[in-house]
Amino acid sequence: MRLLLIKAVATALTIGATTASAVFVTAHLKNPAAPLQPAVLNTGNGTSTTSMDGTLTVGPSVQPSNAAPITSTYAS
Amino acid sequence: MPPESAVESHHFEALGTDCSLFAVGQTRGRLVEGEFWVRRLGVLLTRFTSDSELSRLNASAARWTDIGPDMESVLRAALRAYEMSGGLVNVAVLSSMLAVGYTRPLADGPAVAALDGVGPLPPLPDVLEVRDGGARVAVGTGIDLGGVAKGWMADRLCEALGPNSLANLGGDLMAVGDGPRGEGWPVGVGGVTLSLRNQGAATSSVRKRRWGELHHLIDPRTGLPARTGIEEVSIVASSGFEAEVIAKSALLLGPDIAPIYCAAHAMAWWLGGAHVR
Repeated sequence: MRLLLIKAVATALTIGATTASAVFVTAHLKNPAAPLQPAVLNTGNGTSTTSMDGTLTVGPSVQPSNAAPITSTYAS
Repeated sequence: MPPESAVESHHFEALGTDCSLFAVGQTRGRLVEGEFWVRRLGVLLTRFTSDSELSRLNASAARWTDIGPDMESVLRAALRAYEMSGGLVNVAVLSSMLAVGYTRPLADGPAVAALDGVGPLPPLPDVLEVRDGGARVAVGTGIDLGGVAKGWMADRLCEALGPNSLANLGGDLMAVGDGPRGEGWPVGVGGVTLSLRNQGAATSSVRKRRWGELHHLIDPRTGLPARTGIEEVSIVASSGFEAEVIAKSALLLGPDIAPIYCAAHAMAWWLGGAHVR
């Protein structure tokens, strides 16, 4: 009976530790959009559209938004 | 959709351009401190006043000159930009800038160009040496930090403004954190809105700071204003500094190579101009 209790407690501790680790890691991603190393980020699988008088290509690590831009990049 | 957090914003003119700072969970005073820092760096890094730290360095005629920690960091970033770009981003551009007539702020108008004798720029490591607390520039050369400094400063500002902030210095910007709605910071790039999260963006162009046939973006391979067929490039990368380096490199590479280069190095890119396919 005592052996069974020890096994049950050990199993519960293992499951608990695994679950807590998984929760901690997903909650503490430093940069969810971090690229893989090396620094070659895309392999040409971006989505291209014609925009203004040029071509915009958006890679998988950038999300388009429907929100109004709060600011822009521009030539100065 | 998560509720939108209040965004504190602050807009000002500095570095000869418009600047904007945004932050969630910060006071306006903190953003004003950011403005002061930008203005202080602008005084150090300008080449348009004779007593700036940069002008003293350019006039040092190969003697070691004491520099502050911010100048040292910017100069090291400039050397890194040269390496990253295979020499295309070269801040040893002062002689060409002066030759094309960019001798003073363009608000005061360009001077007469004198392009005779202009040639390829020397390799930056031959021109600029940096050590702890000091730097020197080779005789007869000079540096202009331009967009490299702005991208670097945007990155540093976000470090100071907190984990959910955005700094935009004349189009060179860095955005950290989840933005006001938890979806990243909505930023206009090439006419559309992209959500940037721990990412920077920058635009390099020959359409602005232009007078007649001349402009400010020098091709280090010729020492003359760039004519590559691309007129403007906007880049999203992992930092404002990196975006600036990639944008300038892509513009200089021209329409045949730039798309391949951007696909390898950028997260999003917009290429504009008559020759862009």
